Amino acid sequence: MSLDLNFVFRVLVFPGFAFILLFTMFCDWVERKIEARMQNRMGPIYTGPVGVLQPLADFIKLLTKEDIVPFNAKNFVFRFAPIVSFSIFVFSFAFLPIDGASVVSGSNFEGDLILVLTLVSIANFLLFLSGWSSTNPYSAIGATRVLTQLLGYDIPLFILALAPAFLAGSLNIAAIANKQYVPFAFLIPWTFALFIINLQAELEKDPFDVPHAETEIVAGYETEYTGRRLAFLKLAKDVQMVLGAAIAVELFLGGPYGPIFYGLSAVWYTLWFVLKLLIVVVVTEYLTCIFARLRIDQVLVVNWKLLLPLALLSLAVTVGVGLWLNPL
Amino acid sequence: MASADKILKALSDSLGKRIIQTRTLQPGKSYIQVQTGAHKDAVRIVLQEDNEAGVSAITGVDLGETIELMYHIRTCDTIITIGAEVPKKDAKIESITDIFPGANFHEREVSDLFGVTFEGHPNPKRLILPEDWPENVFPLRKEVSVANIPSKIGNFGVSKDEKHVSSEERLVNIVLGPQHPALIEPEKFSLRVDGEIVRGVEPRIGYVHRGIEKAAESRTYLQDIYLVERICGICNACHAACFCQTVEAIMGVSVPPRARYLRTIILELNRIHSHMLLLGHAGLEIGYETLFHYMWRDRELIMDIMEALTGNRVIASFITIGGVRRDLKEEDVPKIKAELTKLKERLSFYKNLFESDSTLKMRTRNVGVLSKQDALKLGVVGPVARGSGVNMDVRRDEPYAAYNEIPFNVITYDEGDSWARLMVRLDEVGESVNIIQYALDHLPTGPYRVRVPRTVPTGEAIGRVEAPRGELFYYVKSNGTAYPERVKVRTPTFANILSFVHIAEGGNVADVPASFVSLDPCFSCTDR
Amino acid sequence: MKVKREMAKLSPILREVISQVFKKPATRRYPEVKPKVPAGLRGRQIFDITLCISCGLCARDCPAKAIEMVDVEGKMRPLFHLDRCIFCYQCAESCPRNAIKSSEIFELASTNKSDLVVKPKENSVSGGSQ
Repeated sequence: MSLDLNFVFRVLVFPGFAFILLFTMFCDWVERKIEARMQNRMGPIYTGPVGVLQPLADFIKLLTKEDIVPFNAKNFVFRFAPIVSFSIFVFSFAFLPIDGASVVSGSNFEGDLILVLTLVSIANFLLFLSGWSSTNPYSAIGATRVLTQLLGYDIPLFILALAPAFLAGSLNIAAIANKQYVPFAFLIPWTFALFIINLQAELEKDPFDVPHAETEIVAGYETEYTGRRLAFLKLAKDVQMVLGAAIAVELFLGGPYGPIFYGLSAVWYTLWFVLKLLIVVVVTEYLTCIFARLRIDQVLVVNWKLLLPLALLSLAVTVGVGLWLNPL
Repeated sequence: MASADKILKALSDSLGKRIIQTRTLQPGKSYIQVQTGAHKDAVRIVLQEDNEAGVSAITGVDLGETIELMYHIRTCDTIITIGAEVPKKDAKIESITDIFPGANFHEREVSDLFGVTFEGHPNPKRLILPEDWPENVFPLRKEVSVANIPSKIGNFGVSKDEKHVSSEERLVNIVLGPQHPALIEPEKFSLRVDGEIVRGVEPRIGYVHRGIEKAAESRTYLQDIYLVERICGICNACHAACFCQTVEAIMGVSVPPRARYLRTIILELNRIHSHMLLLGHAGLEIGYETLFHYMWRDRELIMDIMEALTGNRVIASFITIGGVRRDLKEEDVPKIKAELTKLKERLSFYKNLFESDSTLKMRTRNVGVLSKQDALKLGVVGPVARGSGVNMDVRRDEPYAAYNEIPFNVITYDEGDSWARLMVRLDEVGESVNIIQYALDHLPTGPYRVRVPRTVPTGEAIGRVEAPRGELFYYVKSNGTAYPERVKVRTPTFANILSFVHIAEGGNVADVPASFVSLDPCFSCTDR
Repeated sequence: MKVKREMAKLSPILREVISQVFKKPATRRYPEVKPKVPAGLRGRQIFDITLCISCGLCARDCPAKAIEMVDVEGKMRPLFHLDRCIFCYQCAESCPRNAIKSSEIFELASTNKSDLVVKPKENSVSGGSQ
């Protein structure tokens, strides 16, 4: 069977693996610079112009450190959970249209929204396993907190993702992105706001920072990881952030589709995608800066008593708006 | 209201013949020496006469054949000292922890350093010295020279009585270990945790013990000022001020008025920078990094003022016996006032933030509650006590430096939770700015220093200063040479650290850093 | 419910964070920009040998035992060990002739030990800018 060079290029280089990795590092740099400016300091400035190469430098530094596996840890799960988690996050990108068409052409199908959200939940569960297999009291507490938080935000996440699906009339992410002549963020802004708050919980940023609260449990589920495995775990967290923001962009901001002015449509689509994703990154970073970290029981109160009822309510309102826009 | 004379009369009435002698250490501070078994009754009588009294410190002094134990009780704006002597060969005395639980750590420290056994103490383990210190070597006894102690006997790790999972079903032992991101300095707190609820706390301090009290006995008074300054970096001016005050009380020297005002200025600058450091650190502990960065950026204003005034940002080395070491130039005063005005504007932002920010209040309200009764029984001092409604402040109770001429308010809050303790400190920063501005406006002219002889006449004295963390207590005894006989330091965190056990029990693991940071622990001070 | 009541009043940090993005960062760009230190900073010692009377009070009073009296041309002069010094300047106060003064040099880190000693040189002022 002949190897389709186009396919290989799309999967491995652009908009596939290499693009995702480099883009993740770029988003990490944007995050750190914005957080620094909000806190009236400089952020990375030395590595590369304006410090752009800092996340790459951190990654390479971690790769050169010694890799220790505590002798009590469950070996197989400890070694492979970060890598499998990272691969699942990267694989979920296959269903998102980045330059107008999805990474593997023809991979979209009706219902891939549910598949992507399920993959995200599985990858988060693997993060829990990575903490649990460390057999360290700090990691155990961090891992149980990950699971408790996962239970709390997963259901509202699904419900809120259904709202744009209903408005677009399909569960195909590419179709949802395509049907947005006006981005859904302007049609149903309350759902978008709730989705961003939910995203904060999924990405474990303030105020939902509790699974890896440094001042209480050292590093939570990351405590026993060093060297290469820690590099992969951190990379998995960063890719998760880009994936979450990408899902928000596809569902609410119209994906890569935007006005084309001149030239190749693929270039313009990628540009719009990057721009919209950076907007989401800046908004989540702003939310990180203005809140403190909540306790786990307060997180549960916010999830179950606040997010879930509001998510259900917003879905009901969206159904009303949708029926008003396109009467059956 | 009890007064010191009433208490002395009550003591002499009930104890009668068991009082051996009474003398006056300083005007207003009496010392009553009683027979060894009668000390507990004496302490009980004083605590009953004044229900806001507390044991401030327990000092041990080596007198050759006997060890003299002094119980310094803080009452009615002064200190009444009850003394008892025990022979060195058979150093046993009854513990007072059942009538005053706050004496727990004080007694353990004396037993570690002098070898006195306190009968009836609930937890007579080592406090300050490490586990592998040789058994019968008591460092603060005069005959012991610390130069020849054999160093570490072998390697010891986790001590034998600590397991990860304790025998009582689901309790897991989490060690907020010597190294932990929540602690700035190393101390060990073993938490017994059931899921997320803390059931018990076992503190072990002494990791930063440097033997400063022993070292002070082999240096001259002038060199000792710099030694005690380095007990704590954050409140260094208070240590120097307290030591110099105590030595000046023994010598009978009075400091010129300009020096008193300058001392006040440097002490209040120290208080501002310490409180701002703590408030930023509190933000870090509860995950609020933005607050940390903003607070420490504004703290730089104070560090620049201190650098201009004393020549260094942190360790001031400004106060000496007889006054202060340098003068404040007239042309610097408008600059300092301008910086303080800038700071005051920023303070209004922080006050608004602390009162209205939702996540900050969710993390600190009703967290680590210390009731007023517990605060009095445990003998806590400083903002920890003022946050629970106890109205104590050495600057008002026993004015030193220029505090009897400068008007200021003592801030108290009644809630007793972490939020109240942080708000006390925030309001105190505002008060300190007012005090400094008043002092700069009314700075008297004249000399800023008097020359004092190098040897100090025989005598003893007690000095107290309100450090940022609470009441700092010094006892200095001199024997007529250029070297002090005994320097006793009781730092405010040493008195406060016992309350951590009370406020952490029953709360979440996540509340431990929030309540811990509101006590403002400074372990260099605790361990000396 | 307590959470909802607490969120009623808006925190001032919301606007503050956005306004900080447009302000200059508070970071001081050391080492490209050297800080302006105030006069009277307790930096490296400057020792004037012409004023010294070899009394040795500086070495006696030093709390850190950082001053060593060495023989320079038949007279005892102080040698300052900067790695032990705590920069308290008790030596300057104890000196009856004001032979020791402070300078504003605070960048004392070095890779060779000979930079950390202020030696008394004959007929000159040692310390100072080097």
